[in-house]
Amino acid sequence: MLDKNITEIKESFYTDIKSVSSIKDIEEIRLKYFSRNGLVSQLFEDLKDVVKEEKPILGKKLNLLRNEVSSYFEEVKERISSTQSNKENEIDLTLPGKNYIVGSKHILTQTLDEIKSIFKGLGFSVANGPELESDYYNFESLNFPADHPARDMQDTFFVSKDFLLRTHTTPVQIRLMEKQAPPVRAIMPGRVYRNEAVSARSYCMFHQVDGIYVDTDVTFAELKGTLVSFAKQFYGSDLKYRFRPSFFPFTEPSAEMDITCYLCHGKGCKICKNSGWLEILGCGMVDPNVFKFVNYDSEKYTGYAFGMGIERIALLKYGITDIRIFFDNDLRFLKQF
Amino acid sequence: MKIALSWIKEFVDLNGISTDEIVSQLTMSGLEVEDVVDQSNLYKNFIVGFVKETQKHPNADKLTICKVFDGKDDLQVICGASNVSAGQKIVFAPIGTEIPNGNFVIKKAKIRGVESNGMICAEDELLLSDDHSGIMVLDEKLEAGKSITEALNLNDVILEIAITPNRPDALSHIGVARDLAALFDRDLIIPEIKLSESSEDVNKLASVIIEDEVNCPRYIAKVVKDVKIKESPKWLKDRLEKIGLRPRNNIVDITNLVLHECGQPLHAFDLDKLSDHKIVVKSTKSETSFTSLDSKERKLPLNTLMICDASREVAIAGVMGGENSEITETTKNILIESAYFHPSSIRKTSKTLGLSTDASYRFERGTDPNITKYAAERCAQLVADLADGKIANGIIDVYPKVINPKEIELRFSRTTKILGYDVASEKIKNILSRLGLAIKVLDEDKLLVSVPTFRPDIEREIDLIEEIARINGYDNIPTVSKINITLEKKTDETEVDEKIRQAATSLGFFEMINNPLQSEKEVKISGSPVKLANPLSADMEYLRSTLISGALITVSKNLRQGVKDIKLFEIGDVFNKTNEGEIKSFDDFTEDQNLLFIISGKEQDKGWNTEVIDSDFYLLKGLVDSFLAKVSLDNVLNDSYYAAANEIYAYYLTKNSNGVELGKGGKIKSDVLKQFDINQDVYCFEFNFTHLKNVKAKNNGYVDPLKYPKIIRDFAFVLDKSVKYLDVKEFIKKKSSNLLKEVSVFDIFENETLGENKKSIAFTLEFYDKDRTLTEDEVEKDFNNLISLITKEFNAQLRGK
Repeated sequence: MLDKNITEIKESFYTDIKSVSSIKDIEEIRLKYFSRNGLVSQLFEDLKDVVKEEKPILGKKLNLLRNEVSSYFEEVKERISSTQSNKENEIDLTLPGKNYIVGSKHILTQTLDEIKSIFKGLGFSVANGPELESDYYNFESLNFPADHPARDMQDTFFVSKDFLLRTHTTPVQIRLMEKQAPPVRAIMPGRVYRNEAVSARSYCMFHQVDGIYVDTDVTFAELKGTLVSFAKQFYGSDLKYRFRPSFFPFTEPSAEMDITCYLCHGKGCKICKNSGWLEILGCGMVDPNVFKFVNYDSEKYTGYAFGMGIERIALLKYGITDIRIFFDNDLRFLKQF
Repeated sequence: MKIALSWIKEFVDLNGISTDEIVSQLTMSGLEVEDVVDQSNLYKNFIVGFVKETQKHPNADKLTICKVFDGKDDLQVICGASNVSAGQKIVFAPIGTEIPNGNFVIKKAKIRGVESNGMICAEDELLLSDDHSGIMVLDEKLEAGKSITEALNLNDVILEIAITPNRPDALSHIGVARDLAALFDRDLIIPEIKLSESSEDVNKLASVIIEDEVNCPRYIAKVVKDVKIKESPKWLKDRLEKIGLRPRNNIVDITNLVLHECGQPLHAFDLDKLSDHKIVVKSTKSETSFTSLDSKERKLPLNTLMICDASREVAIAGVMGGENSEITETTKNILIESAYFHPSSIRKTSKTLGLSTDASYRFERGTDPNITKYAAERCAQLVADLADGKIANGIIDVYPKVINPKEIELRFSRTTKILGYDVASEKIKNILSRLGLAIKVLDEDKLLVSVPTFRPDIEREIDLIEEIARINGYDNIPTVSKINITLEKKTDETEVDEKIRQAATSLGFFEMINNPLQSEKEVKISGSPVKLANPLSADMEYLRSTLISGALITVSKNLRQGVKDIKLFEIGDVFNKTNEGEIKSFDDFTEDQNLLFIISGKEQDKGWNTEVIDSDFYLLKGLVDSFLAKVSLDNVLNDSYYAAANEIYAYYLTKNSNGVELGKGGKIKSDVLKQFDINQDVYCFEFNFTHLKNVKAKNNGYVDPLKYPKIIRDFAFVLDKSVKYLDVKEFIKKKSSNLLKEVSVFDIFENETLGENKKSIAFTLEFYDKDRTLTEDEVEKDFNNLISLITKEFNAQLRGK
């Protein structure tokens, strides 16, 4: 009798619960089966009247039934109540999230960060120096004699006869070598000034990174290796390059490094002036005259130095056509990076 | 500098070498070719045309319908030039021709209803000159249909080469030819001069005295008599025009030819205009004015090297001749000057006069003192040939101290040490010889190299190594694939800047970079800014003494663009003079790195779930404090508050450490804003970052999270308006037991019911102990005690009771 009831109640439970669609239905089922006087509780009451021999078997069966239907009931209840509550609150998930503004570094700072991190990986330190420099550090100690046409290469803002706004970050090389004995391996980022008319292509102020490495046995071959490694990390490993003789008073031999124009891939275009090449940096072996100024023995030590403009790199990389936009600080521009 | 390849080929045999190869080798050896104009390619489609007939265009006054014979057919062509007429030989561009200036292709077209089958060209369209006054009219003997590259000799290749300042020797065709000879291992050919002189002794016709031997180590004069000043022959005019020079007369053209051939600047005087037929080279002893041959009167400073005759100045040495002695149509006898001037003397003159000429450009870079004789004789012979002159016998050559070639030792081992690879010794010897340097073997490792005077840039062993490297090719230098990295400590002096930038951007600030060069009005808002001696313009006359001026310029610019909500920061150097005098040392000024935050407009917009937050003093203060916390400098600096205005702020606070002010900021005064054309409130804070960097950050170590509950109590007091929050807070902290750990304000307001000059401040007090749970009783005792103390101290009234 009880055995039969167990099977019937189980069937009727599954039939009832199939048609459940609301919290109200759930409550009805709870009352019908699981309340104090509910059908399941009633079965346990009935168990008391069963003969002793059958009790263990039926008891076990009853327990199994209760566990099965009540866990299924909980599952359905959970499902119904969660969909029901969503319907009741009608949350609109499509509304925009709360606008949270995080600022950003200037694109020139970001470009410099990238350059710095590559050179730090190659074992370079990072050094600073003043922008308002003496003629001695900016020119004389870098082997620009007074009244030499080499000075025309860099139009200079003077504040007095002997003080000027540095025209390159190279003076920091001298300051560094004055402070320490070789080996010296560092890059020097910073702001420089040129007395040149402001246009889309040139500004009276811009940023450079200089670098120097002095030790015993530093060669031009190592200079090439280091700069090629930098260029490949920065511009991509499939890059083509060339080193071309040039002139800087503070290096001998001197070179300029070109890479294939990224726009035309060497075919020739407006950006590369039809040459297929883009000049990215100047470099060379540190001139023995420079070593003289910092009391390094040029027979014992050799070194290389290099320098590059950050604006130029950023202009090329982001396809910006007017250098002045870097210093206009229009927030609509700054927020893009 | 423009170089004509046909001219180069007179000095070096380049047979079998393509133009591309020449261009690439020049660039890759340090003579950078910036542009190549291959005329035979550029002009390949242009032909000589014959204008058979002309008639007026029916629909346009300025147009002419021409019948042009192209050697085969008669073609109808419309021409807009006023000088076109029947019977002319002209340059004709048939359909399909690309026109060099403007890169367009001639197509069959209808011009105002009449068909046109080609174009008659003007000089500018062919890039031969800037002349667009009319079409080019050719020699009528030229045959119609003939290519103009042949007919007009336009079959040269013109190279535009950028010569670095260390290579004065390359500022001529022979100079470039010498590098090519070394690059292609060929002979340099310098033609000998066959001088035909008259019997008249030059010393009877003229004399030269050098008074300033330092600045004029050598002066050569050659005299040619009975010259006829006239137009130069076609070959000479063509040659000059190819390299961008305008022909003038035969004498001037010849001096230009020799200059561009061998690099020696020459000047021709009208001998009869030189008083006593005398040349005196001396420096001015007083300020003088002088009219140069461009008819400009120039003020010559003291110690300007001048060429004078017996009574007056006749030329600015090495720069430009004078009007008083120049060659004119009536000149009969000339004196050719070929001199060597000291580079820095000419540079000084050229700089002070602001006058740079082909001559001064070369002299200031260093010409060859020993080419002067060759140049003078070459010039004299050409004058004899092309101006029918008679060369006087002999030469006047004043050369008190002969300048000899330098001798430098070169070690092969050193070459390897610098370049990182071995260049064979035979190769080295060959390169140096081809460059015109004489070599002598000293031992297995050493050469003695004699460097001729045309290479003033080669002074040391390292300069010779560069010559070897560049002629042998930088491509041949290996590129190492490993480097040594030393293991000593690396430093990054910009590391702190990076931390600061991270902190600022995480608080929502965008980084700006302002130009430190600003106008007087802008920089003078504070400090003692440094003035430039040679500014670019008045709006960039000063170096900033604060970051505020640049930031306000930026705010103003953004407002004009309609960007009204501003949240920016900048790290940059500012400059201040330390005394009134001229800057003579690093003590006369300071250069500090500063850090600035600036806010204006709305910090947060009204959104569907957000309220507007306007920028104000408390937002600024909160941002600055959050920033300091991010860089672990909170609780290390003390605040001071100033309710009264200073030169920039209406009210402000300062951040100080051990009595030193490290930063200052607040609300910008309205008259300052007005000056920058800003019409909304602006709040800004500026740190002296150089000093801030030196402040030691706090090191709290780790604090365990609280294990026991806090007891929180609130109270509010009605206080006099003049009572400051901070005073009450400090009082509470002082008078409470050590169970009170935090005091903060959660509400503040004023209204009529409180009474006039009254306000209410509500405080939250947090009591806890890290080692135990507090009892309500002990907190209650402390709390009640505070209430009575505050009531007494501040004449306050507890609210809600």
